[in-house]
Amino acid sequence: MKNVEPSEHRAVSVIGLGNVFLGDDGFGPLAVETFRCQYECGPEVEVLDLGTPGLDLAPYLYGRELVVIVDAVHSDFPTRAVSVFCEDDFASSRSCLRITGHDPGLWDTLTHLRLADCGPTELIVVGAAPESCVFGDGPSAAMLNLAAEAAASIAQVLTHCGVRCNHRNAAPRPNLWWLPLNPLESLGVPEAHVNA
Amino acid sequence: MARISIDPVTRIEGHLRIDVEVDGSKVNKAWASCTMWRGLEAILRGRDAREGWVFAQRFCGVCTTVHGIASVRAVEDALALDIPPNAQYIRNLILIGHALHDHIVHFYHLSALDWVDVMSIPKADPARAASIAEGSSSWQGNSRRALEAVQDKVKGIMAGGQLGIFSHGYWGHPAMRLSPEMNLILFAHYLQALEFQRKSCQVVAILGGKTPHIQNLAVGGVMNAINLNSLATMNMDRLGMLQGILEDLIPFVQQVFFVDTGLLAASYPEYFHYGRGVANYLAVPDLPLDARGTKFDLPGGVIMNGDLASVRSMTNWKDEPFRKAITEDSTHAWYQGSGPIEPYKGETTPDYTDFKEDAKYTWVKAPRYNGSPMQVGPLANVLVGYASGHALTRKWTNAAFDRISAVHGLKVLPNEMQSTMGRYLARAIRSAMLSELALEHLQLLTTNILNGDDTTCNAPQFPSGEIMGMGMHEAPRGALSHWVVIDKGAFTNYQAVVPTTWNASPRDQNGVPGPYETSLIGSPVVDAEKPLEVLRTVHSFDPCMACSCHTLDATGREIAQVKVQ
Repeated sequence: MKNVEPSEHRAVSVIGLGNVFLGDDGFGPLAVETFRCQYECGPEVEVLDLGTPGLDLAPYLYGRELVVIVDAVHSDFPTRAVSVFCEDDFASSRSCLRITGHDPGLWDTLTHLRLADCGPTELIVVGAAPESCVFGDGPSAAMLNLAAEAAASIAQVLTHCGVRCNHRNAAPRPNLWWLPLNPLESLGVPEAHVNA
Repeated sequence: MARISIDPVTRIEGHLRIDVEVDGSKVNKAWASCTMWRGLEAILRGRDAREGWVFAQRFCGVCTTVHGIASVRAVEDALALDIPPNAQYIRNLILIGHALHDHIVHFYHLSALDWVDVMSIPKADPARAASIAEGSSSWQGNSRRALEAVQDKVKGIMAGGQLGIFSHGYWGHPAMRLSPEMNLILFAHYLQALEFQRKSCQVVAILGGKTPHIQNLAVGGVMNAINLNSLATMNMDRLGMLQGILEDLIPFVQQVFFVDTGLLAASYPEYFHYGRGVANYLAVPDLPLDARGTKFDLPGGVIMNGDLASVRSMTNWKDEPFRKAITEDSTHAWYQGSGPIEPYKGETTPDYTDFKEDAKYTWVKAPRYNGSPMQVGPLANVLVGYASGHALTRKWTNAAFDRISAVHGLKVLPNEMQSTMGRYLARAIRSAMLSELALEHLQLLTTNILNGDDTTCNAPQFPSGEIMGMGMHEAPRGALSHWVVIDKGAFTNYQAVVPTTWNASPRDQNGVPGPYETSLIGSPVVDAEKPLEVLRTVHSFDPCMACSCHTLDATGREIAQVKVQ
């Protein structure tokens, strides 16, 4: 990563990837929603939860100058810590590109876009190793605790790349709509929209 | 006898395992297994019926929009709620944008490499390739210079020895028969398609607020505000923007995608005789034109036993025979229960046993229509429309047949569409139809707004007792239906009968296999180590299993494997 002077004319995307209903696999959406609430960026920055789009990632990487992908990452790095990877870390000899049903499609999409000369200028991955990817349980406590650290890492990456990014004084509460229902809430719905 | 397991099948959306037994050089038995559990129904129980669509969009990582639409339609059906025309048109434009995106990605990025030998491209003569391409289409991206640039890129990849995502192809397979020039043309369009799948996403994002996971739906309509005097709402600028994007996108669909599919069909005519599979077809009507869903631009209906003359048209969403006919069977699926059960009473309680071909072997249930397996998807959509005399379907189907005959000298009959190649051709025909309808629905929306109607939603009111509803949608992969039971405004049951469940259905309680399994019977397998023919037929359905756990693997471990026993 090179240090770059701040500019408001760059096309920047911060993208959370992952299945929010599979425990820690939803780390990406959790982290970008936390970032969206805790930090303020200019209009050149898009913050997106894209779920598990596979090859449908292409439109969101197309022609962008900087893309920060936030995702659960299997790696040799320690668990309970946020790690930052450059594209070369994944494309280097220690990991080969592949197409499998388990792959989110990121590297395939990047290859397509680079061949068509419309890939992002720079791509950085902010990741953390998942503890548990169990259906319907929500993120582990460890991942919830890492969300703020991940948001700070995203901000640091953006600032380092010359993208204006400021901590909010009054952060709104993240909208983590996918977390399991409170047992009391599941007993009924607000009376306001129920006719007698 | 050889047993081949392909696990997972790659270049699909999600997780699929295919097992086939090959006797000599032909498949004589097949099993399709979805290897991940889609348990969203369990999450939806107890949720507010007005927010179900937000969760339902996560049934899949790719087809998010279609589940959101089916969910709100199910609740609206339960409430007998009218939908304002503006909302119908906005939803229809979103569905068209999503479908065009899906079909373009399927043809080029998910399945083209089953037919296109990338490694032969350096041998192509770009001048000859340009002459071939320009002779069959007026598309501006077919120039010699454009094709030379693509060829140089491929040469560069090969010279560098970094094949990357192209390192797993069955290059040089005897079933790859396109000339180097044809391979160059199709691969050039493969790269150009990236630009146009993006444009179709822009249509969805402008109207839906975001994609994937559109944000504008509401039970009762959409949340788009319309005010021609406001910069912040749907206005003439926004409508003009949509018109401009569609005018860019439509030529790619009609002059490239549609043309390329004809080229492929004419080059591999034997695939009009493979992969027929289950010859019962189901399509549901879509692109509603009125508040109650009684008039549609896409026809629905049922064809049994491959007899096009037997078509029964489904003219509205209240169709009672359809509602009574649908059941799901868990005999061979990893769920508790066994025989057929109607969706309103359906259960999704897991009962995993590992892969047991004579017992339970998949997470997909077996949907049945009056006890019969059904094939769904663009082929069903086109066959139902063609058989029932739907003018737009006939126009584009005949255009495809005429083009293949005039340019390539191959005569295709409607009945031959019931095949692996027919599924590819039908997807292109449907795309051409949708591209034409896109401008019509944009005009309907514009006219309605200019006539002074700015209503986009009718607010729902929930009764205190139990109500039931079913929402259907002809999604890119076929007939989708969501079935809901609601009490006091919250879901007490939720079942989704999705297109890939129909097509990837396992055997039922009577041992009758589903469409994937049946379509593979008789398929040739020239090289058991590289079962390309099997993949072509499986990919022709555009499989989309529930997207689920996916984590980046920085160690680059290989997961896909073909086992021959």
